[in-house]
Amino acid sequence: MKNTQISLRQCGIIIAMCIFANKILLMPSLMFENSKSDSIFVLIFLFALDFIALPIFLRLKKHYPTERLYDILKDKIGVFVTKLIFILLIVFFFFKCLLVFSVTYVYFKNQIYHDEFIFLAFISFLPVISHAAIVGIRAFSRTMELFFFFVIAGFIVCLCISLFTPISMPYFFTTTAKDFFTSTYNHIFSFGDFAFLFLVIDRIKISDGEEKSIYKYAFFSMLLVLILYILFFAKYQITAFMHNNALADMLVFSVQFNAIGRLDIIAMITIMLMTVFQMEIFSFAFCECFQSIFPLLNRAYAIVFFDILFCVLYYVFVGKYENVVSSVVSWLPVLGMIVSYLLPILFWIISYQKRRGKIEKTD
Amino acid sequence: MPFFDVKQKIEELKSALNNSVDFSSRYFEKNGQEIGMVFLKSITDQALFSEALYLPLQTYEKPLDMEILRNDIIKGTDVKIIDDNEMVQEILDGKIVFFTNFSDEILAIDFLKFPTRVPSEPPTSPVIQGPREGFVEDLQTNITLLRRRIKSPDFTIETLRVGSVTQTKVCVGYIKGISNKKVVRKIIKRLKEIEVDGILDSYNIVSFLQDKPNSLFRQIGNSEKPDVVVSKLLEGKACIIVDGSPIVLTIPFIFLEDIQNSNDYYTNHHYSSFVRVIRLFGLMISLIAPGFYLALQIYHYNILPLNFLITIADTTQGLPFTPFLEILFIFLLFQILYEVSLRLPSYLGLATSVVGALILGDTGVKAGLISPPGVIIVALSKIALYTIPEEASQVTVLQLLFIIFGGSLGLVGIISGLVYLANYLNTIDSYGTPYLAPYSPRIQNDLQDAIFSKPLVQIKTRPKSFNPEKEKIK
Repeated sequence: MKNTQISLRQCGIIIAMCIFANKILLMPSLMFENSKSDSIFVLIFLFALDFIALPIFLRLKKHYPTERLYDILKDKIGVFVTKLIFILLIVFFFFKCLLVFSVTYVYFKNQIYHDEFIFLAFISFLPVISHAAIVGIRAFSRTMELFFFFVIAGFIVCLCISLFTPISMPYFFTTTAKDFFTSTYNHIFSFGDFAFLFLVIDRIKISDGEEKSIYKYAFFSMLLVLILYILFFAKYQITAFMHNNALADMLVFSVQFNAIGRLDIIAMITIMLMTVFQMEIFSFAFCECFQSIFPLLNRAYAIVFFDILFCVLYYVFVGKYENVVSSVVSWLPVLGMIVSYLLPILFWIISYQKRRGKIEKTD
Repeated sequence: MPFFDVKQKIEELKSALNNSVDFSSRYFEKNGQEIGMVFLKSITDQALFSEALYLPLQTYEKPLDMEILRNDIIKGTDVKIIDDNEMVQEILDGKIVFFTNFSDEILAIDFLKFPTRVPSEPPTSPVIQGPREGFVEDLQTNITLLRRRIKSPDFTIETLRVGSVTQTKVCVGYIKGISNKKVVRKIIKRLKEIEVDGILDSYNIVSFLQDKPNSLFRQIGNSEKPDVVVSKLLEGKACIIVDGSPIVLTIPFIFLEDIQNSNDYYTNHHYSSFVRVIRLFGLMISLIAPGFYLALQIYHYNILPLNFLITIADTTQGLPFTPFLEILFIFLLFQILYEVSLRLPSYLGLATSVVGALILGDTGVKAGLISPPGVIIVALSKIALYTIPEEASQVTVLQLLFIIFGGSLGLVGIISGLVYLANYLNTIDSYGTPYLAPYSPRIQNDLQDAIFSKPLVQIKTRPKSFNPEKEKIK
C-alpha cells in the first residue's frame, strides 16, 4: 500500500488538472450561448457546489485513513448498491475522458491537422494513458508534478498575452434566472471533479495540518479558470459563442501574436499536456472502479476493456463531437448530479455516523 | 609427530594449482625444523620476498617458533593466520603461504605485486579546477584514494568475492551513521546472489544491482574520480569498488546526477546553476529537436514564422526523400560516422571526419539529396547530446524514437512520447530513491543542490532522497 501512496501536493495537482478538464476550450462559448456573460456566475456557482465536497472528503479520510472507498461503502450500504455506485462512477469517468478527448480532437483538427489522419495521431494517447493506468497513480501523479509548472506557465502566458489587446468588462445580469439554471444544468457534467478524490481516498497521504494545501490547489486552479472566463468574455463580448477554443483563441487574436510569431504553439502544448494528464486520471479512475467491481480481474483487463470501449465509442462519435456535446447537455447532467452531489451527501452521512459512533463509544 | 609433512604439502599445493607454470616453492630445513613456502611468482614481489623473509630466515641462528617468525623475522608486510582450506585461494591472491613441521599454524604473507597504473586524470572526466586524481585498476590503490579523503573510523569497507571462476574482489564502501543501512544490506545481498563465472569490470555487476535490469536507463551511478565518490558517500550513498576496474559504482542513483558535474563544485554556484540549465536544455534539444523539426515541417508548418518557413521550403524543394526519410538518413549517417570514429585509430579519425563532414555532408546537400536545415538540426542534436555525455547512449536511442513519433504523429506524438517517458522514469526507484527526485516527487530540501544550487555554506542538510541515517551536516 505504501508504494502506491501519493503526497498531498500531487493530490492537489491532480485536482487542478481535473478542474481544468473540459472547461477551458469549448465550454466558455457553449455557456455563453445559454447565459451570456452571466456564465461567470454559473461558473462560480458550480465551483462553490464542488467545493462543498472537499471538507466531506477530508472528514471521510480522517475517519477512514487507510480504507478503500469500495470497502467503506460495502460495509455501510451493502455490496449490491456499492457495485451500482461504482458502475455509475465508471460511466461518469469514461464519459469525462471521452469528452476531454473529443473537445481536444476538434481543436487540433481545426488548428493543425485538417484531415482524418488526426484520429490515428490522437489514438497515440491511448498507449500513454493505458501505461499510466497500469503503472498506477504514484507514477503518473509524479509526472504531473514534473510538468505542472509548464502547464500553469503555459496557461498564464495565454492569459497574459490576451491582456495586451484592449478589453472591456462584459455586461452582467443580462439573462434570466431560468437561463442561469439551464446553463448550470447543461454544464454540470463538466464539474464534480472531487469525485476522483473519494475514489483514491486510501492512496492519499495526509499529515496533520496539511489539509489546507489541497484547498490552495483547488482554489488556485478555479481562480485561473475564472480569470480565463472573465478575460474571454471581456475580449470577445457578444462574439464569444463563435470562439470554440477559449484558451487558444486568447492568443490567436492578440496583436502581439502576429508581432512575435505563431505563439499558439504555447496553447497547443499546454492543451496537449492537460489532455493527456486528464485522460490519464479519468482512465485510471475507470480502471479502479472496474477492478473494484471485478476484483478477480487484473488491471490489464480493465485497461483493455477501456481501450476497446473508447475506440468503439469514439468511432461512433468521430468527427461529430456534436454528438458528445448533445449527450453532455441531455442525459449526462443527471449522472453528473448523482456523482457530484448525491454521492458526497452519502459520504457525509457515512462520516457523520462514524463520528457519532466514536462519540458514543467515548461516552 | 610433525604438524605438516612439508615436502608432501608443497606437492599437494602444486597439484591443486595444476602444476601452473608460475608456481614456485621454497623448502628450508634447519636443525630438524622444516619450513615450506609456496607462491605464484607472477604476482609476487620476489625481491621483497628475498629481502623481508627468505634472507632473515636463513641468517636466523636460534630455534624457530611461530611467534618469533611473526614478530621478529617477517618484517614490513601483512601476515595473517589461515586455515588449511584457504591456502589455495591465498596463493591465488598473491600471498606467500608459509607452513612448518613444528606448528599447526599456516601463515599467509602479503607480497602481492602486479603492474599498476599511477593515478592520473581520467580521460572521461577532465576538470578545469579541482583534484585530477582518478581511480586505477588496483583495488588497494582505489581504497587508498578514498581513505586518504575520509579520515573517519566510520568509513567502512566490506569485501566479497564475486564470480565463481575469477573470484574477483568486490568491496562495498559506506560511512556508518550516514549511509542508509537498508541500502547497504540490499547491495551486499544482491552481490552475494550473483552467479556468474567472472567479473572483469564494474559494469559486469551493474545489471545484477539494478532494480530494473532491462531498462534503457542506468540506475547505478559511476565515477572515475575519488573526490566525486567521496562526495556521494557523504550524501549517504554507498560505493562499490571492483578489483580490476577504474570505475567505482555508487548507489542509489538519480537522473539529476548526470546533470551535475564535479566541475560545478569547484566554481561559483551561480555559474554552476547556469551551466546545469544549459546541460538540461542541451539534453532536451538533443532528445526532441529532430522529431520536433519533423513535426513542424510535416504537420504544423503554419506554426513556423513565415521567413523560416520560406527558407525550409526553398531548401527542401526537389529532395528525393520525404522529410521523415531525410532526417532518418542523416541521423543514421551521423551515427555510423560516430561509431567509425570511435573504433578507428586516431590518425584515421581525421580522415573519417573529412569524409563525413565534407564529402558526405556537403556533397549530399549540393547534390540535392539532403537539405541544409536537416543537417543542421541533426548535427545540433548530436552535439547537444554531449552536454551530458553520461546520457549519450540512452538519449541516442530515444532520439530515434522521437524522430519516429514526430515524423508519424506530429506534435501529439512528441508530447505523448515525453509523457510516456516521464511516466516510465517515475516508475523507477533506485534503492528506494525516486529516479527523478527531487523534482518528481518534489523534495523541497534537496532543491538546494539540484539544477540550481546554493553555496556550500548554506547547505545544512544531506539530500533526503537518499534516506541518509543522519540528515544534518555537522
